[in-house]
Amino acid sequence: MDTLPFFEWLDTSILADISKAYGGTFAIVQVFHLLSMVVLGGMILTSDLRLLGVVMRDVPVDTVLDNTQPWINRSLVVIILTGIFMSSAVAIKLNYNEFFWAKMASLAFGIFFLYAIKRPLLRGDLSELNAWTPKVLAIASLTVWFTVAASGRWIGFS
Amino acid sequence: MLNELLLSFAEWLDTHAWSTNLHESYYMYNWVEGTHVLTLMVFLGMLAVIDLRMLGLAFKDVPASTIAHRLDTPMMIGFVVMVVTGFLLFYAIPVRSTNSIWFRIKVVLLIAAGINALLFRNKMKGAVNSWDTDPLPPKRIRVGAGLSLTLWAGVVATGRIIAYDWYDCHQQMSSFMYWAAGCVNELAALEQAGG
Repeated sequence: MDTLPFFEWLDTSILADISKAYGGTFAIVQVFHLLSMVVLGGMILTSDLRLLGVVMRDVPVDTVLDNTQPWINRSLVVIILTGIFMSSAVAIKLNYNEFFWAKMASLAFGIFFLYAIKRPLLRGDLSELNAWTPKVLAIASLTVWFTVAASGRWIGFS
Repeated sequence: MLNELLLSFAEWLDTHAWSTNLHESYYMYNWVEGTHVLTLMVFLGMLAVIDLRMLGLAFKDVPASTIAHRLDTPMMIGFVVMVVTGFLLFYAIPVRSTNSIWFRIKVVLLIAAGINALLFRNKMKGAVNSWDTDPLPPKRIRVGAGLSLTLWAGVVATGRIIAYDWYDCHQQMSSFMYWAAGCVNELAALEQAGG
């Protein structure tokens, strides 16, 4: 699939005009991207470490998942919106950046994994699940989101 | 005087071969930098969960002290990693960091956040017998948590913006900005030209 036309369009969009004309705007949006990553990471880590039985063992798994999920949703929305804005500033370059594509692939998989696999599996009665299922889900989740963050950071180095 | 001392110290660090090697090593420097940024999720991520509980915005059905105590260890592990990698990043680029207005603001915010955290910890000790299970903690606790999140967001923001050279010493700036950024030589040159 040729993705270049999309990035060429993004490169000439109003978002690109703003992000290229005002460096300060780009930096501020970048800070919000980073701050929402902090919230997303904190909530994912709290829920996965609970599933692994590392933290908050005296708090029911349901309680931890129900409390972290709204903040995961909110931070994902901010991450995606700020991410689109940041992409517009270097659109053509990103089309040829392999770490950008690694991040997009892992992000897409992370979102699919969270909403289509992890949440539905953990929504029911946990006692009916194999004892290892929550732990395997937590390790998979931590691995996927670490990959998203690490490949995202490496875009700037490559 | 302080600016001169700080710059001399940074220039001395800059003479170390290890400082240059770390800065010039593509993988080592980027691994340290990447670890510093990713550990934000461990340290500040845990802190955000605790502060959101204190603001009454998350985990309202769990005692505040439970959240604070259970997440304390991973948060402190994250803090230690951030401090170690932070010092390494400074060591790799000592002169530019010392002369960065953003780095200086970051250090001030870090000290303020540290003082706030100490005061906050003391207030937390009184939680168990009074407001521990309240969904919305008392106002003084919410103010402390809000201040904590704001200060740390400021630390993240200024830390990120260090990368931009808008106010680096090679830029044309006012004497106040040269002084605030610690651009000792540029300030002296400006004063000489003015005098």
